[in-house]
Amino acid sequence: MARKANPARLVIALIVAAVLAVFLLYTSIAGGGTPSIAPSELAGRSGDVQLAGLVVGPVRGDSHAGGLRFKLRDIGGETTTSVPVRYAGSVPDLFKVGRQIVVDGRLRNGIFVAEPGSMITKCPSKYVAKQSGDPY
Amino acid sequence: MAELGRAALVVSLGLSLYALVAGAAAAWLGRRRLAHSARNALVAAFFSTLVASGVLVSALLRNDFSFTYVARTTSEDLPTAYTISAFWGGQEGSLLLWLLVLTGFGSAAVLLNRRWARDLIVWVVPVFATVAVFFSFLVVAVASPFATQTSPVDGAGMTPSLQNPYMLAHPVFLYLGYVGLTVPFAFALGALLSGRTDERWLVATRRWTLVAWAALGIGQLLGAKWAYEEVGWGGYFAWDPVENAALMPWLVATAFLHSVMIQEKRGMLRVWNVLLVILAFSLSLFGTFLTRSGVVNSIHSFTQSSIGPWFLAFIGLVVTVSLAVVFRRLPQLRSPTKLESPISREAAFLYNNLLLLALSLAILWGVVYPMVSEALRGEAVVLGRSYYDFFLRIFGLPLLLLMGIGPLVAWRRASLKNLLTTFRWPTGVALATGAVLLLLGAGSSLPGLVAYTFAAFVLATIVLEFVRGTRARKALGASSWPGAFSSLIARNRRRYGGYVVHAAIVLLAVGIAGSSAFDSVAEAKLSRGESMQIGDYRLEYQALDERVASNATQIRATLAVTRGDRDLGTLEAGKNAYTIEQQVSNEVGIRSDMLTGEDLFVIAEQIDADGSVYFRVFVKPLVNLIWLAGLVFLLGSLIALWPNAREQRRLVQRTREVGVPATR
Repeated sequence: MARKANPARLVIALIVAAVLAVFLLYTSIAGGGTPSIAPSELAGRSGDVQLAGLVVGPVRGDSHAGGLRFKLRDIGGETTTSVPVRYAGSVPDLFKVGRQIVVDGRLRNGIFVAEPGSMITKCPSKYVAKQSGDPY
Repeated sequence: MAELGRAALVVSLGLSLYALVAGAAAAWLGRRRLAHSARNALVAAFFSTLVASGVLVSALLRNDFSFTYVARTTSEDLPTAYTISAFWGGQEGSLLLWLLVLTGFGSAAVLLNRRWARDLIVWVVPVFATVAVFFSFLVVAVASPFATQTSPVDGAGMTPSLQNPYMLAHPVFLYLGYVGLTVPFAFALGALLSGRTDERWLVATRRWTLVAWAALGIGQLLGAKWAYEEVGWGGYFAWDPVENAALMPWLVATAFLHSVMIQEKRGMLRVWNVLLVILAFSLSLFGTFLTRSGVVNSIHSFTQSSIGPWFLAFIGLVVTVSLAVVFRRLPQLRSPTKLESPISREAAFLYNNLLLLALSLAILWGVVYPMVSEALRGEAVVLGRSYYDFFLRIFGLPLLLLMGIGPLVAWRRASLKNLLTTFRWPTGVALATGAVLLLLGAGSSLPGLVAYTFAAFVLATIVLEFVRGTRARKALGASSWPGAFSSLIARNRRRYGGYVVHAAIVLLAVGIAGSSAFDSVAEAKLSRGESMQIGDYRLEYQALDERVASNATQIRATLAVTRGDRDLGTLEAGKNAYTIEQQVSNEVGIRSDMLTGEDLFVIAEQIDADGSVYFRVFVKPLVNLIWLAGLVFLLGSLIALWPNAREQRRLVQRTREVGVPATR
């Protein structure tokens, strides 16, 4: 080729550029990620986190008026520390004491204040229903 | 009975092992009869797996709770259709289905191509056999569907939300897609191993790839529809790891379907295509792994199980071996032609490929990021919806635009002047649409407006292509306009089927943009007789009823809906409380306007003892276009798939001319 233009090189450049773009764009919004932690790791944290835990009763309040209040403890952990949670907004069907849930929010004055509508429940294992010896 | 099932699976494992060892030896040593025997072993493995599947189905139908699997997934009073669907409901059964479809597809693909691609087939058989050995090993030794126990009185039943017609079909389609991607993988690897790196493996697997890809697409839409109607949070896709697991291989397969055309036409991108096929297959394994291992936090998390490490090891093996084989054959994969210009059909397809790949890698990164950050920083960081939405816009919108440009640009080299003439009309249509929408107030969401404008552009190019082609046919002597139109499609099914699929993607994009960028939501706590307003809809809460059905107590709030002066009748929303399963589920009320494609979506979030109800109401414009897109997608795929003897002959002829190397 007389013009010395090498399209193969162009293609490689494009690929590299695309890959670079992905990472640049990613780092530019890296703040969008939230750490996912267990209730026992919450103490002393001030930023936004995603809290995954097991619902401990009693569940009080109204999620559409003043907020629902309950506690969360570690899933499967030996620790008994639990964190009080206040939550407002949609409550998924599967929410109840003993279920695993995930909420976004932050710790304020010793209470984990969840973002409204952020709760998701984990299916208690999709196709496998209660087994004997299951505590819930 | 369980013994028969177990024995049949052991036989499958043995036959697959034999097909692997004998097949590899036959291919290596060039023994024809041994190769035959290996091929027959693969076919026989299909039949023994079929026997095992028959045993499981009959156990399900007989409610034989001495099978642990049956007791765990069904119950006495489960309707028959759902009882059968329990086959793929649990982990062990779905692995068995994998194996069944795999050996079935493998046998069929090998038998259909045995004559004209014999030198490839001898290497394809051991590749299929390797995958079959892995899955039959899993169902024999790690997760057997035929474990037995002392029979309990009744089974545990099926989660209520899964008792839904969409859930009957959704997993099957996904599995057909996942497993279907094994076929191009096995043929690609077979071609590399045999050193016959011509285009025959593409010709042999084109339809298989299309079927797998179409099944994966339809399966995902069925899942979305199920989520929309049954899960009832007002959406249809949530970027959950399990949903992403199906989306990634689909995106890569889409890229492959496009870049294949460049290899067929111009002999370029050979390495690229092989890599895409390997990636697509690895991602489908990874998808099965994700759904089954519980390694990421997903609302779908299935039972935690022991198959995770096996899957990771197998994925590692597949990737390492395939890459090694590609590396060894690199000299033979050099393409005879080069990209001539960055403005050409080839280049447009290449950009499309890069965008699709970038999108799926961004999604992959999002899926594995919690694990990566856990390993690096000791803390799992989750990337939320905003991360995925961002990349969908950044990569998805240019893709949408390219869908209009690519098919109309000339091969090899196009001039800018040419482009201006070609795209005069579509650009005009797009700009006009954008301007009108802006006046109508669509400027509230920039990505939404851009998506609509690009969609108009693509639709205009598709219409233009059909008009131009039909005219040409008429000029060539077709008797009538409809005749010209149908002969146009019949003569080039791939191309025009492809355009129909493009139209489906446009509908999908418009539906997604409409329902996510321009939706509105209202919430209110209403007592009987009170009403609320959303957009120009007015909903009056009239009554609360309680009904007792066989398996659940159903509570329903009735709402009278009016829009302007028009009475739109009533809508019911409420909850079901399932007695045995002790679960409550939202039963949403949806009113679809078939003319505008808009949905009014009502959730009765909280029902208080005094009869007041907290309602959450969405108006989702154009959301029904998403489901319509599914039908158009199916139509387009069928057109592209429809057997075309003439085209097949031509492709076979051409590869004959290329010549088959005489030595191994």
